[in-house]
Amino acid sequence: MAASWFRQPSILPGFGLTLGFTTFFLSALVLLPLAALVFKTTALTWSEFLDVVLDERALASYRLSFGAAFIAAAVNAFFGFIVAWSLVRYEFPGRRLVDALIDLPFALPTAVSGIALATVFSPTGWLGVRLQELFGIQVAYTWLGVVVALILIGLPFVVRSVQPALVEAQRDLEEAAETLGASPFTVFRRIILPAVLPALVTGFTMAFARGVGEYGSVVFISGNLPLKTEITPLLIVIKLEQFDYNGAAALGFMMLLVSFLMLFAINLVQSWSRRRHIGPADTGRRVERRARPRNQKAGA
Amino acid sequence: MSIVLDQVTKRYQGTPVVNDVSLNVRQGEFLVLLGPSGSGKSTLLRAIAGLTEIDHGRVALHGRDVTHVNSRERHVGFVFQHYALFRHMTIGENIEFALRVRKVKSAERRARRKELLKLVALEGMDDRLPAQLSGGQQQRVAVARALAHRPEVLLMDEPFGALDAKIREELRRTIRQIQRELDMTTILVTHDQEEAFALADRIGVMHQGRLLECGKPDDLYTRPATRFVSTFLGAANLLLGYRTPRGVRFSSTPMAGGEVPREVVAILRPEEVELCADELAVRSNFVSHGQVEEVLFGGAVERLRVRMASDGPVPVAPGRDGTTGQGSLLEVSRTLPEQRNFPVAVGQRVAVGARSIHVLPTPISSFTAVAADEAAARELRDSPLLSTLGARMQTRVATRIGRFERAPPGMPAIATGPACAAAAEWHLTHGAVQLLCVPPTAPLPNHVVIHTLDAESRRATLAVAASLLRHVAAEAIYLGIPPETSAESERGAHMRNLLDARSAALADHGLDMRTELRPGVVAEELQKELAAYERSMLVLGTSKPDAIQWDWLKSLLEGMPERPVLIVNSARTEPAADA
Repeated sequence: MAASWFRQPSILPGFGLTLGFTTFFLSALVLLPLAALVFKTTALTWSEFLDVVLDERALASYRLSFGAAFIAAAVNAFFGFIVAWSLVRYEFPGRRLVDALIDLPFALPTAVSGIALATVFSPTGWLGVRLQELFGIQVAYTWLGVVVALILIGLPFVVRSVQPALVEAQRDLEEAAETLGASPFTVFRRIILPAVLPALVTGFTMAFARGVGEYGSVVFISGNLPLKTEITPLLIVIKLEQFDYNGAAALGFMMLLVSFLMLFAINLVQSWSRRRHIGPADTGRRVERRARPRNQKAGA
Repeated sequence: MSIVLDQVTKRYQGTPVVNDVSLNVRQGEFLVLLGPSGSGKSTLLRAIAGLTEIDHGRVALHGRDVTHVNSRERHVGFVFQHYALFRHMTIGENIEFALRVRKVKSAERRARRKELLKLVALEGMDDRLPAQLSGGQQQRVAVARALAHRPEVLLMDEPFGALDAKIREELRRTIRQIQRELDMTTILVTHDQEEAFALADRIGVMHQGRLLECGKPDDLYTRPATRFVSTFLGAANLLLGYRTPRGVRFSSTPMAGGEVPREVVAILRPEEVELCADELAVRSNFVSHGQVEEVLFGGAVERLRVRMASDGPVPVAPGRDGTTGQGSLLEVSRTLPEQRNFPVAVGQRVAVGARSIHVLPTPISSFTAVAADEAAARELRDSPLLSTLGARMQTRVATRIGRFERAPPGMPAIATGPACAAAAEWHLTHGAVQLLCVPPTAPLPNHVVIHTLDAESRRATLAVAASLLRHVAAEAIYLGIPPETSAESERGAHMRNLLDARSAALADHGLDMRTELRPGVVAEELQKELAAYERSMLVLGTSKPDAIQWDWLKSLLEGMPERPVLIVNSARTEPAADA
């Protein structure tokens, strides 16, 4: 029983098999390529590496990639919540249609959405012209265009993670608050928001992560001006096209590192808030769920 | 009055889930709304709290009309079945929530919190999270939270539903104590009759959206007015009996000679049944012989089922084992001393006596489909109206084929058609108190026209109509039809008659109906009104069946589209009294 020290008792068979598969797929598809990336980077000396990753053009691309992804994820968190809210809480004609439309950015080739956005928002495009005329805002071929593209790509992540949380949020909690004299705003702030916050943060994180790595839709609308509207993935592709594989790997490594650190930080914040807000209730519910089948077995 | 409900109605997609409920609750009174699931009791409670808007009627709390006030400003405390505690707040924060939203100072909040935690015996739990408490403790917190803002009424929706038996009982006692201590007007909703008896000053029984009866627990138990309440509150044997000069008689065979016995619905509680070795030993009223079929020992009481002799009492509703030719099953429960006095075993023959019975004041006891042959009788019995009435009223629909000397007891039903008027004449002159003429394919009516041929029959007719309308969702209209040529003074009397009928219907039976005066020829006006609605039905009352012009009835029945007609013969309807 050497391997059983981390094994949770469970009535489900095939623990060894499933863990084996998990390890294999994670290794073959995630860990190995990433390790290769890191390995490739080691071909560079320290100074060469620093030259590549701290290059002015590279630094500008980080700012744009991470900054735009962050803004887009924040915008999505806000509007995505509203979309999820209206989908869950209201009955309106065409609700199912809207529900299905949410997933479209998932399914569409990103290049298609990029081209579509570029067409609409370009200075001669249908929306671009009006934005230019009315507000003097140019969207396409600026950093704003990058943000718009990332909003489109990230929206389903927020909606799809908040939706189930809203469905599950108990209506009687809101009713309880109401009978106790809380205004609708208080009910929202003190009851609903704390209940869906973990899901919202998850959605935000996923939208952000997707935004950082997005390439297809961005390149068509950003204009790709070095130092201004050039995202890091594009820079990597440029390096590859110049057969600078080591430089590309170095940039890739940097993205990997920053993304990992940011996701890790968000996860920490999330688990802290879960402990604060939901408390042991969450774990309690999980224990209960696991315990039930065992009881059934005992009863049989 | 602390809580006043006036004709509250709530519909979901057209079907009323709370139907015309009026109720007054005194200051400090503990009212329990009892009913099976889906009876509308929770919806009614939510309507009082303002969590559900009502479609019709008014709600007043402490003299303040709050029908259109939202729940925030109704000043009620509401306790939910699943506690509905805010999981991300501590117990203290939960309790202070109502005070916090009212911007009460923190010192005052703390004092109130402490006071409330003491009240529900959870001192020192302030900083725990709800998930760290047991279900019973969480519900205590929910009660404390609901009381924090000193509400005027406390409303509880199945508050013990999610708890196990032991904690339930303990919490029940706590709630009762708190309620007495604070003199808090309280409404609690439950489907558990034991809970209702343990807590209530008064019990309101709801069924299918209606508040059927409301009264003190022991009154409702010993003197229920409806079949549903008598079987829902405790166990009851519902039997068909015949009123005789010497009391109610139970038998499947009517007495020989004389007139048609008046059929009544009586309840015999299992604990009121006396079992003895033979007829002579029975000290109470002897009912019949029977055979013990099942004995269950359940601690303090013994539960038995006794198969009655085939000529013994007839159950009102055919049970699962409603096989004809075999005697009915009687539920019996006996205390330990009774068991010691007369131990019985399965298969033993016993004499059965009834210590006390209660006759329900319902005017409709049972139905008998009367036809010339088996197929026609079955078609009649299975007609939408008759089968639905039988099922909803939980009563027997018997069949009778061929000719007899007297009308069957209860309400005979005959098919409409060419021979209908003659058959109606025969039944009404041969002892029937009520008669139903049914077109076998007619759907359930949604428009019931009521008309009485004379003022004397009004009371009985309205009672029958009200009983009918309690089980059929239909609107009622009471038509007064004075002759076209009648004098002004006569019409005035007619109008008074109508208004009296209306207020009597509302006061005695809770039946809300329209009234209309239509000068003209009676048959023509009735035919016109009935033809105007696709699914209409006529309830016709008379106190002098002998005085009816049978040709007139014939022309009435033949001159209109096929509609169900219920004729009430009040000549033989004496007011129901307890036996």
